[in-house]
Amino acid sequence: MIQLPALLAILAMAFVTYLTRVTGYLLLARCKLSPRTLALMDIIPGCVLIAVIAPIFATGDPANLIGLVVTLLTATRFSLLPTMLCGIIATGLSRTLLG
Amino acid sequence: MSEHFVHTHSAPPFRAELWRGMKTSLPLLIAFIPFGLLLGSQALQKGLSLGEVPLLTGLNFAGGSEFAAVGLWSTPPAIILLAGVTFLINSRHIIMSVALTPYLHQLPRKKALLLLFFMCDEIWALVLEDIQKDPKRRFSVGFYLGVTLCLYTSWVLFTFMGGCTGNMLGDLTRYGVDMAFPAVFIILLKSMWKGIRTALPWCVSLGVAIAVYRLFPGAWYVPAGTIAGIIVAWLTVRNV
Repeated sequence: MIQLPALLAILAMAFVTYLTRVTGYLLLARCKLSPRTLALMDIIPGCVLIAVIAPIFATGDPANLIGLVVTLLTATRFSLLPTMLCGIIATGLSRTLLG
Repeated sequence: MSEHFVHTHSAPPFRAELWRGMKTSLPLLIAFIPFGLLLGSQALQKGLSLGEVPLLTGLNFAGGSEFAAVGLWSTPPAIILLAGVTFLINSRHIIMSVALTPYLHQLPRKKALLLLFFMCDEIWALVLEDIQKDPKRRFSVGFYLGVTLCLYTSWVLFTFMGGCTGNMLGDLTRYGVDMAFPAVFIILLKSMWKGIRTALPWCVSLGVAIAVYRLFPGAWYVPAGTIAGIIVAWLTVRNV
């Protein structure tokens, strides 16, 4: 059922992924962080998140753009669930209608 | 089920926190379930066996790199290539764990290293948002485990089920389900907003990430955008 080469590949991937998850902790856990560093830590998570979703902002596709704008507008007023639903429905609808 | 929990006010905080974590992560299943099913069915088409699917998604637990790995899968698999691509895609976790570390210092080392095994994008973001909302900036182990319990088990379960059933959903992007992930992140950004001092670094992150995404293939836009934003944050925070 589980082949040895596949098992090795999966273990190699799992090891690499785990390494990325603990590196920051292993580097910093023993350090005393300055107030300035802590202030930076308030901003950095947003930098990561916004970079991860950058491709959707780079889209030239009108359906994606409509979906994104609807998602952004919903997000200014509502919580997670309604925002997800509106974003999905708007994107799906505009892809159907425009595609 | 919910009534049972509503009346247990005297329950230990850990249990309440666990439940709160599970409830908070529930909306994300709108994205986790269909994409889990899709990944499982793609994995079998690419030659992974049914037993190997939950092994991959359970040990690696990082959706983006799993889709990439399944796309690059061959028989026998190219181990170095798969590990290299996995590292490139998941290197953002390094910065994510750096951002989480200041709040983990009261935990025993072993416990922290165990918890970090589950730190996928969504868990990291929900937990960090939760910390930033708390005036005392506390890390709640119960909340973390609640989010993890809900998202981890459903990811492993539904990738496995996708392997069992094959692709019954068709092209998910047709229904716009892929917009779920940006929606989650935009909501989280909203709660991480700390006034105007966050605006400039975030805009720079976004701008650089968009530029790199357009100019270079692969996932380089994530580290490039992030690092550009950190540099700007570092410069502006110094001047405050």
